[in-house]
Order: sequence, then structure tokens, then C-alpha cells
Amino acid sequence: MSQNTPNRFLRPETLTAIGLIVVAAGFLIPTAALRPLSALLPAAMLIALIVLGAMLLISDQREAAKGEPAAAMTKAPKRVLAAFALIALYALGVDFIGFYPATAISVPLVAFAFGYRHPLGLALSTLIVLSAIWLIFSFAMYQEFPTGRLWSL
Amino acid sequence: MYLDLLHALPHVLSLTNFLAVTIGVVAGIVVGALPGLSATMAISVLVPFTFGLEPLVALGLMAGIYNGAMYGGAIPAVLLRIPGTPAAVATTFDGYPMAQKGEGGFALQVAVVSSSIGGIASAFALMLLAPPLSKLTLLFGPAEVFWIAVFAMCSIIFMLGGNVVKGLISACFGVFVSVVGSDPIFGNDRYTFGYLELLDGINIVILLVGLYALPPVLDLLESPLKTDTANENLGTEPIWRTLPRMMRFWKTWLRGSLIGIWIGILPGAGGSMAAFMSYNEARRASKTPESWGHGEPEGVAAAEVANNADTASALIPALTLGIPGTSVAAVMLGGLLIHGLQPGPMLFRENPDIVFGFMWQFLFGAILLLFLGGSLATNSFAKLLKLPRPLLGSVIIVLMVIGVYSIHGRMFDVYLMLGFGAVGYVMDKLKFPLPPVVLGLILGAFAEENLRLSLRIGRGDWGILFANHTSQVLVALTIAVVFGPSLKRRYWDNRKSGAQG
Amino acid sequence: MFKYMQKTALAAAMVMAAGAAWAEFPDKPITIIVGFDAGGGTDVMARTAAPFIEKYLGAGASLVVKNVPGASGQIGVTEVANSVADGYTIGTYNLPGMMARTLDREAGYTADSFSYLANVVNDPNVIVTSKASGLDTMEKLIAAAKAEPGAITVGMSSLGGDDHFLLTKLGKVTETEYTIVPFKGSAPARTALMGGHVAMGILNISEVADFQDQINVLGVATAKRSEFAPDVPTFEEQGIALESGSMRGFVAPAGLPPEVEAKFIEAFDKLASDKDFAAAMAATSNPVELKVGADFKALNAETLDLAKTVWETSPWN
Repeated sequence: MSQNTPNRFLRPETLTAIGLIVVAAGFLIPTAALRPLSALLPAAMLIALIVLGAMLLISDQREAAKGEPAAAMTKAPKRVLAAFALIALYALGVDFIGFYPATAISVPLVAFAFGYRHPLGLALSTLIVLSAIWLIFSFAMYQEFPTGRLWSL
Repeated sequence: MYLDLLHALPHVLSLTNFLAVTIGVVAGIVVGALPGLSATMAISVLVPFTFGLEPLVALGLMAGIYNGAMYGGAIPAVLLRIPGTPAAVATTFDGYPMAQKGEGGFALQVAVVSSSIGGIASAFALMLLAPPLSKLTLLFGPAEVFWIAVFAMCSIIFMLGGNVVKGLISACFGVFVSVVGSDPIFGNDRYTFGYLELLDGINIVILLVGLYALPPVLDLLESPLKTDTANENLGTEPIWRTLPRMMRFWKTWLRGSLIGIWIGILPGAGGSMAAFMSYNEARRASKTPESWGHGEPEGVAAAEVANNADTASALIPALTLGIPGTSVAAVMLGGLLIHGLQPGPMLFRENPDIVFGFMWQFLFGAILLLFLGGSLATNSFAKLLKLPRPLLGSVIIVLMVIGVYSIHGRMFDVYLMLGFGAVGYVMDKLKFPLPPVVLGLILGAFAEENLRLSLRIGRGDWGILFANHTSQVLVALTIAVVFGPSLKRRYWDNRKSGAQG
Repeated sequence: MFKYMQKTALAAAMVMAAGAAWAEFPDKPITIIVGFDAGGGTDVMARTAAPFIEKYLGAGASLVVKNVPGASGQIGVTEVANSVADGYTIGTYNLPGMMARTLDREAGYTADSFSYLANVVNDPNVIVTSKASGLDTMEKLIAAAKAEPGAITVGMSSLGGDDHFLLTKLGKVTETEYTIVPFKGSAPARTALMGGHVAMGILNISEVADFQDQINVLGVATAKRSEFAPDVPTFEEQGIALESGSMRGFVAPAGLPPEVEAKFIEAFDKLASDKDFAAAMAATSNPVELKVGADFKALNAETLDLAKTVWETSPWN
């Protein structure tokens, strides 16, 4: 979000408010199929969310009209997105290649990607994390973790 | 009955049983302290494992874990603003600001002492008053429980934060999430989109981990590698020096214990509701309410005493009636059933050594907490949090996945947690308050279910909601709490202006 | 189609690998999928029965319980229906719930998806009333229900379960009407009953046996009186034809190799005469009533028919 082109419809709060209204309105469609008593609470909440979303939109646009700059969401949007993508990738990894392989890759990778580059520290911490988890969950508690859907196809 | 209680004592004091409690408390603190892992998850992983153990060993482990985790949750709540368990949400209000002021060590000491006191009070309630208190539970039918939920919901008003619109959006979002799943009366699907995994509703732990743990992790990774953290200086003093400073919390401790015990014996809501209510009541009673939320140690005391005070008391309805007072007690009930211990009046007659031994274990767990919690928290965990930030972040991510996956053993919940995490990050950055979401999720469907059960009992007549004295008292209380403060202010203003004029 | 090929291929591979493979069944651990959390009634039944099934399967058989909780057991039972029919995956099965779900929602299985091994537990329904209601006999209850249709509130654990079906039958047989109050589970229903918040309740005998001091137990829906509460008369004795209960047993995916199925059925047959097994089940509040193989299948079909009639006359959702 560059400060030079303050497009008043790209303010984070405005976007959130619009998103909220659209999603809440979308959820109203399945609500219509419910029986009246069953629909009562969810419908009330969705309508309240739409109204509140509209209020948020108006108040944020008023501030935009006054020329007040929107509060920045994040200092480094790219890092946040990358971090989120890595976490999602890790979850997919657990699902498809199994918990232990995915964790063995993810722990050093995430730490490395975000600035911790000490090779010995990386190796040691990965080892400690993995063995602690194995000892507590798999060995002592017989807890089963995903073994990876990819291998069982 | 009290004879049985004494009779059970030697059984508990045997080495293995005592060791089980000790291990349980330590494990509980660790589980509670690790963001992502919760007491519910730890005990549900433990239950099948205990099938082959002696009942008192198994129950001792669970009692220890429960007590330990209710305190352990405070550690990341104070140091990282990530509540380790749902019940520790209210602990973040003042605990985190204290840590930022360099009083993290004191905050944790307040937390451990308060937790221990709450746990001891609760254990005594369970040991001495279980039969009469279970009669009290019977007074609360659906209509009365509905009013309790409304009463608790009113405390949302006090945690909306600066922006009322944003606070209400958070609350409505929480309530809406709570209705996902099967309808409480008809059993038809609401917003499950064909996913059976959603049919039982969205587990609070999934939402909590997503909303509270993921955004701070993203923050940890967002800022470039730094070695200086605000938490570096915990400001720890020896506990015997800080203890006298805590003595002024005695009223809060008493009030919080009573609230915790009371919420515990009511079915369904549990630890986080007790902590929220205790926090609110303590703030209302405080002479300096404006300092709350900015690092008031009494706030930590209020939240922590209450979330431990409902541990043992939640077992009163669980043991006598089969209805657990908290979600953790629900999982523990499974641990009893697996050993053939059916809840009900016969339980106390047929297996007195086990049942009363279990109660003793709660008491010992609460006392042990004071000794184990104090040193463990201030020494080990604080160091753990000094790990380089990217490393800490990547380890928390693994814990989050384990914690969420282990509740039901399915990846679906992990993906759901990531979804809530994305929502939570946006909410956090745009300063939407998060506590109303948690409270909305806990209370929304709970209130709805009980309202609709009442309406069915009353055959559609809304008058059923005011039909007996318990309900009427609760309605009066709710009105007093909501309108009391503004009336009081007006009264004082009038007197002041009267005096001046 | 793909699943079929997969199964055939797998079966073929196993035959090739082990020669007379079926004769040696089981040569690896058998997984029991339990559709509920550890510590639930069905889970305890499975864990208690497992060592006995191991004993009668012989050949060093070992059974491993895997909890796949959620959606009242549906997630687990769907997983059983979709697993490979080699005998190494079996699952717990609840009636009438599992069949009722094929009516009130789109279930991922039908009655034909399973090989019916054995029903082990039949926990008969009981009709109970609160002490406060003063309705301490069936006669008084029915008279009150006739006096004002719908005036009697009935607490039960859910709609579309055994409790609900019993009430429907009762209504039909005695020409009475009631107001159903479906709680989430039987313990909350029982508590509301004890507190006098509802007048009547339909529960199962194992859930009320310990509570006879605090509630009136009017009758039990079996042909013979239950060991759990020998003082409670059956409905037959009181002139009302009512039999119903909550049943728990074991199924395997359909298309089990006949040798494997025979081996399971033989093992379950032996359970019936095992005194230790009966004692272990009684200690965990599980009233045993074994129905093995074809009998179980017939029971399932019967239950499905009943559920269908109730669903058609008074759909619950």
C-alpha cells in the first residue's frame, strides 16, 4: 500500500468491510433453506454482521474523505505472505508426505528462510524437536500421525 | 462419606500414585505452556493409553495435567500474548502488558499462586461439598442455563475494546462460528457444506490456535532477525519476596474461587467463561478500574484463580450426574468410563477408594503446582522463549499442527485452523478485539441450545424463561450488571452536582 | 469399479504371496475403527471385547482400536465401509443410529456396504418419569398424556435414535401424543429429569440402573426383565407391546472373503458362552445380547424398516 496513491477503496478496513458484507450475504443463501427456529440465530448474526460491516465501511470512508491515512496492515507484506504460504505448505506436506518427513524439512527451512542461518543450530534444533516429539507422542503415547497420503496411493 | 475420604488417603500416598500426579502436573504445565497444545488434547491423547494402567495412576495423571495445564496456559499468555489454553485468554489482558513493562516474572508468580489457590479451593469443594453442590446443579434446567449464558454474554460489553463496531463484529463472528454443525434440536446440518467433520461444530481449540497463535507466529517471522526481545528481562524476584505483595488480592482470590466453582458445577461452559467473569467482577470491584488492561497484576490473579477453581468442581456434575462441567472434564469422563467407573450415585458407594482418591489427587495436584510451577516457569520456559525468533516460530508451527491434529486425529482440522489463522491475522492487524470471538463461540450455540430446549419444554411459550425463582434471580442479576454501572455513575454525578449547587 | 479392482488385485497379491493365506488369517494386527472418542460407551465396548475376540480368533491375533470420532459415529463407519475387505479392518456399529442416518442425510454408505459380524450389546430402552411429576405408573402416565395431548414433555438424547423410535411406537400403541425435548446426549436428559425440568424421559437401562432412587423407572422395553434392574417390569407385563434398545456391534466392509468371515463368526459365536466376557461387559454397563452373522443382518434390516416408517410418517429433520 503505497502512501502516494491513496486509493480510498483499497484501504485495508474498507476492503475488510466489503469482504465481510459479501461473505455474510453469501451465507444468507443456505440460511434461507433452514427451518425458522433453526435459522433464527445464524440469520440474526449474519444480518448484524452486514449492518456492522456497512457501519465500518462508512466510518472508514469518512476518515478517507478527511484525508487521514489508513493504518498500515504490515511492515513487510511479502514476508507475511511467504510465512503463511510456508505454513500452509507444511500442513499439506504433513498430509501428503507424512508428519515426520514434512517436519524434518519444515523446521530448518522456515527458520533458515526467515533469517536463522546457523547450520549447527539448525541441525541440532531439528533433531531435538523431532526426537522429543517422537519420544513423547509416538513412543510413549502410541499417538499416530499422518503417514502421508502420497505413499498409500 | 468423610470417613471414606480419609480411608482413601493411604491409597493416594502410595509412591506410584503420587508420582503420577507429579508427572501429570509437570506434563500439564508443559502442555499448557506450549502454544498449540491444550489440556483437552493432552488428556484425549492420554485416555486410550490409560486403558492398561491402574485407575488411580491414570486418574492421577489426568488430575495433574488438568491442574498443570490451567496454569501452564498463562505462561505464553503472559510472555507472548498467546493463550496456551482457551481458559488463559483473560490472562493475556493484563499479563502481556505486565511482561512488556518488564514485570513478566511477577505476572507469572501471581499466576502460579492464584492458580494454586483456585485449584485448592476447587478441590475442597469437590471433596467436601460434592453431594449438595450436585443438588444445586439440578436446579439449573435449560431456561436457567440460558440465563447464565446471557449473563456471561453481557461481559462481552466490557471487552469490546476501543471500537464498539469492531468489537461487535468480533462477537457476531464468534457466535456465527458456533452455529456451524448440526442443529441442536432437529439435528439438520447448518453450514457444513457436506463435510461430516463440521457436524459436531468447530472445536474451540481449533479456533483459538488459529486466531491467537498464528498471528504472533507471523509477527515473529515478519520482523527481521533480532536478538533483543521485550521478554528478555522477566524481572524475577524470589517468590517469598513477592508473596507479601500478593496478599492484597485476597478478595479477588475469594471471589474468583467462588465464581470458578460455581461455573464449574454448571454443565457446558467451563474455564474460559469462569476466567472472563472473574476478571470482570474483579475489575468492577476495583478502585482503579482504569489501570486494568494496562498491566494490573490483580487482573492476572482474577483470571488465573478462576480458571483453576473450576477444574475439580467441573467434576462434581461429571461424577454425580455424568454431565461434565468443562470440555476437559468431558474428556476425563472418558478416562473414568474406560475403567468401568460409571458416573452416578453408585460410583461413590462402589469405588470409594478410587473416587475419593481422585479427589485427593486434585488437591495434591493444586498444591504441587505451587512448587513445580514457580521454578519451572520462571527458569525453563522463559529461556525457551529466548530462542532466535525464526526458530521459535518454526517450532510453534509444528506444535500447532500436532495440537490441532491430535484432538480428533484428522488433517481437516489443521486446514480449518489455517483458515482461522488468516482471518485472525487480518483481525489482529486491524485491531478487532479477539476475546469476543472466543466468548461468542463458547456461548452462542450454548445459549441457543438452552433457549430452544426451554421453548420446547414450554411448548412455544416464552413465559417459561421467567417461570421460576432461579430464572428470575438470574434475570435480575443480569440487569444489575448491565445497567448498574451507568446508574451508579448517574447517582454519583447527581450527588456531586447537588453538593456543589 | 476402481475400488473393486483394487480389492481383487490386493486379494490376488495376498494369495500369491502367502499361498494358503486365508488359512493363516490373521497374520497381522486387525484394526477396529471406533466412531467415537476413547472412553465413550461404544469405545469401552470395543476395548473390553477386543481381548476376548483375540482369544477366539486364535493364531496370535491382535486387535488395535483406532478412534475416528465425529458426527455420532458416522465418520468412522463410513471409513469402515470404504476400507479394503480383507478382514484387517473392522469397525463398531450402532443401531438404530447408523441406519437412521441413511434416511435423514446423505450417508456415504448403505445397509449393503457391510458384512455383519455380530451385534454384541443391546441396551434396552426404559421409560422414566421425574419424582416431581407424580406419574409413578404407566397407567398414570398414559392417562395424563390422554388428558391433554402434548402436555407431557419427554427428555431424550436425540431425534432419530432408539429413544425417539420407542416414543413413536408408544404413541402409536397407546394413541397418545408427547412433546419431545431432544437434549445432547442422555446424561443431560437424565439430569433435567432429576431436576424436574421435564416430566418424562426415555433412556437406556444402563443409564438409569444406578439412579432408581431419584427417578421413577416405569418399564423396560425387552421381552425379559433386565439383569441391570430386575425390579423393573417389562412393558409386555404391563400390557403394552414395546421392544426397543440401543445396539452396538461389529461390522466389516462388504465382500469379506468367506473364510475370513466364517472365522470371525465362529469367534463371536464362542463369545456367547464365555462367562468372563459376560462379567467384563456387565462391569462396564453393557448388557450383552449376541446376534451373530445372519441374525445380525436380519436385525439390521428390521431396524431399517422401522426407521423408514417413522421417517415417512413423522420426519424429524
